[in-house]
Amino acid sequence: MPVIETRGLRKSYGGLQALKGVTLTVERGQIYGLLGQNGAGKTTLIKILLGITKLTDGDARLLDAPAGTAAVRARVGYLPEDHQFPGYHSGYSLMDFYGQLYGVSRDDRRRKIPATLELVGIAGRMHSKIKTYSKGMKQRLGIAQALLHDPDVIFLDEPTDGVDPVGRKEIRALMAALKEKGHTIFLNSHLLGEVELICDRVAILQRGELVREGTTAELTAQKGVFEIGLAPGQTFPEAAAKALGYAVRPLNPAATLWEAGLGDGQSIDPLVRSLVEKGLSLRHLVEKKVTLEDVFMSVVEGAEPGTDRRDRKATAVGGGNR
Amino acid sequence: MTQFVAILRDSFREAVDGFVIYAMLGLSALTIVIVGSMSFTPAPPDEAFDTIAQRFNAIIPERGRSRALSFNAGNSFKVSGVAPEGGGYRLRLTVTAQPLKAAPEAEHKQDGKDDKTPPGPKDVPGADSFRAAVAQWAGAPGKAVELDAGGKAGKNGGRKVKVSTPTEPTPEEQKAIPTGEMEAFIASQFDTQAGMTATATRVTDGVAEPTYAFDVVTAGGSGVRGWPHTTKIFFGAATLSKQAPLGVSLYVLEDWVVNGFGAGVALLISVILTAFYVPNMIRKGSVDLLISKPIGRTPLLLYKYVGGLTFIFLVSAFTVGGMWAVLGARSGFWDPTFLVLIPVLTFAFAILYSVSVLVGVLTRNPIVAMLATIAFMFLLWLAGKGKAFVELTEATRGAGDEGPPGWLVTLVGVTNTVLPRYRDLDTITSKLITDGTLTAAEAPLFSPAALLDYPSWGATFGMSFAFIAVMLALACWAFNRRDG
Repeated sequence: MPVIETRGLRKSYGGLQALKGVTLTVERGQIYGLLGQNGAGKTTLIKILLGITKLTDGDARLLDAPAGTAAVRARVGYLPEDHQFPGYHSGYSLMDFYGQLYGVSRDDRRRKIPATLELVGIAGRMHSKIKTYSKGMKQRLGIAQALLHDPDVIFLDEPTDGVDPVGRKEIRALMAALKEKGHTIFLNSHLLGEVELICDRVAILQRGELVREGTTAELTAQKGVFEIGLAPGQTFPEAAAKALGYAVRPLNPAATLWEAGLGDGQSIDPLVRSLVEKGLSLRHLVEKKVTLEDVFMSVVEGAEPGTDRRDRKATAVGGGNR
Repeated sequence: MTQFVAILRDSFREAVDGFVIYAMLGLSALTIVIVGSMSFTPAPPDEAFDTIAQRFNAIIPERGRSRALSFNAGNSFKVSGVAPEGGGYRLRLTVTAQPLKAAPEAEHKQDGKDDKTPPGPKDVPGADSFRAAVAQWAGAPGKAVELDAGGKAGKNGGRKVKVSTPTEPTPEEQKAIPTGEMEAFIASQFDTQAGMTATATRVTDGVAEPTYAFDVVTAGGSGVRGWPHTTKIFFGAATLSKQAPLGVSLYVLEDWVVNGFGAGVALLISVILTAFYVPNMIRKGSVDLLISKPIGRTPLLLYKYVGGLTFIFLVSAFTVGGMWAVLGARSGFWDPTFLVLIPVLTFAFAILYSVSVLVGVLTRNPIVAMLATIAFMFLLWLAGKGKAFVELTEATRGAGDEGPPGWLVTLVGVTNTVLPRYRDLDTITSKLITDGTLTAAEAPLFSPAALLDYPSWGATFGMSFAFIAVMLALACWAFNRRDG
């Protein structure tokens, strides 16, 4: 049974359509990445699922219940983007406050708060006022407060924003550990490499529309393109390769590295055998990988940016980080 | 309940994070220490009863129940033989009255003689200033007039008080005054002038009219509110008053200093401080963290509102409670009505804070919320002033006196019907403090509220509650409608 399910989800802010019929499904135990430019509608989607923002049309369900109800929110953790914690709290007292709002018992709070803060690496400063925290520490605290009540689903909006590379790695490891424990994670991020590393499924939202959706493997599927390099001084047999049905082109001016594209059902093996038969020495053979960034850029290239660009505001129709 | 407590604690944290709360508590503590440095030394019984008896020329008509006060200066009161008895004292009170003189012209005509120089006025047997005073006490008040408080211009800031002119009982009425009525008058004077229960028995042996003597037995001693005290401050370094009734000193501290000045300052500071609570909570970046938790927006806002109220409740409980304890310990007079200031002050703030919350939700701007609330506070003050003027004018005008203009009465009526009963709250508090500290004779001299009826408690609190409910309902509606 899906943990998150939206069908034809629409959200309008006056004349602006932030979401234009988004349909997606997230299964239990997945890490689901949502990509999109600024103003594509990612945050709006999360806010609708949490009941922070009201949907205009369509259906959104979370944990098999209508999204946004208090009962559902009790089973969800959320780290908003650009969050502002009250500076008068310490990390511990903030966690204690939120824990009470979630209905976590006093004993559990006493036990879990230090442990959760330890998990995100700020236990040593848990009794310091938040106003003395760095941005990275606040971000870690934000993640900790989203985990305190052991939620079934965790929404993380730009969780590594402001966190140094070591911290990012730790957060990725943390997400992987949470997934191992059966938690479902819904991740909004601009960091495509990060998403590619950690997410099971990825969706790309462009101006309020879901334009691509699938597993990371599906989105970055092989395109049958290889990079070939021969020993120094040897010349790539371009004509012979074309005669075998490969689409080839040099990748650099010196023509020491070539790209060979395969036709449908074609294998690279005939080309490799041909090179060997001609007495050429193969030094480099790599199947070209499509990165998530490539996929994302191919989707958004040439597209209108999101609505948060002032110069585009008059014509844009996507939702912003509202 | 857990969520409610959590938000209360959060509000408390927010309040104690700034220096303002500490400044307020420090100021309150300083006030308590200053009050604690005051000493109230009761006068010795001989002096005290003599001082009390000197006030007996002030008469409250209708057997001490009227709000009017009149003066009959014709009698001289002297106290002797003061001795402790039971929990009080036994004493002899001697009244030397002025005999009533017959009008000279009338006497002259009655004689039927044709002298050039009329004879001096003759005494009217069985009629004198004491019997007149007893008749005035038992009868209705006379025409209202305005005098400077304390009898001299400039005292009490030149405040005017309304008194009634003494009526002029006829010789027949005076002659008809029985001994029991005189004894009741004396006992009543001890009650209204000193807050002291007493029984008086007329002594006639060896005492001829127009001199009267009474054996008086009082209950209660130097702890009663009308007992003259010497009040000093800074641990005796400075004398504030000599021979002033204890209740008057307490009234000035409780009503003028705390209920007047102190409450005004506390409300203003609280409005400024708490104006940030709701806008801070619903600002971008904060509100999402809260409303993503399993708590509804309406309870969230209402709990935050109550959290703001706890701020002034704690401050006023600390200040008023502290002063009450210190005053009681130092003076020996424990006036529980002073404590009513704690809930009343909190309720008055509840009215103001409901406006602050609504404006805060609508604008998300603490400065706008603060200024709007202060403007509303001023509007309530203005409406209250208008109401007080109309009420006092109506309460003290005599027959034939011109009342306030009709348009003003209508304007004041409409304004006070629509707005919360802020002024009535103040009147109720002032009257409670007045009743708790001042004697019946002192009240009209010192407390303007003493001349007014108690406002309807139901209407005062009902209308104010209704106003708060409307403000909060609008705030919740606006908060629930908001996306994010």
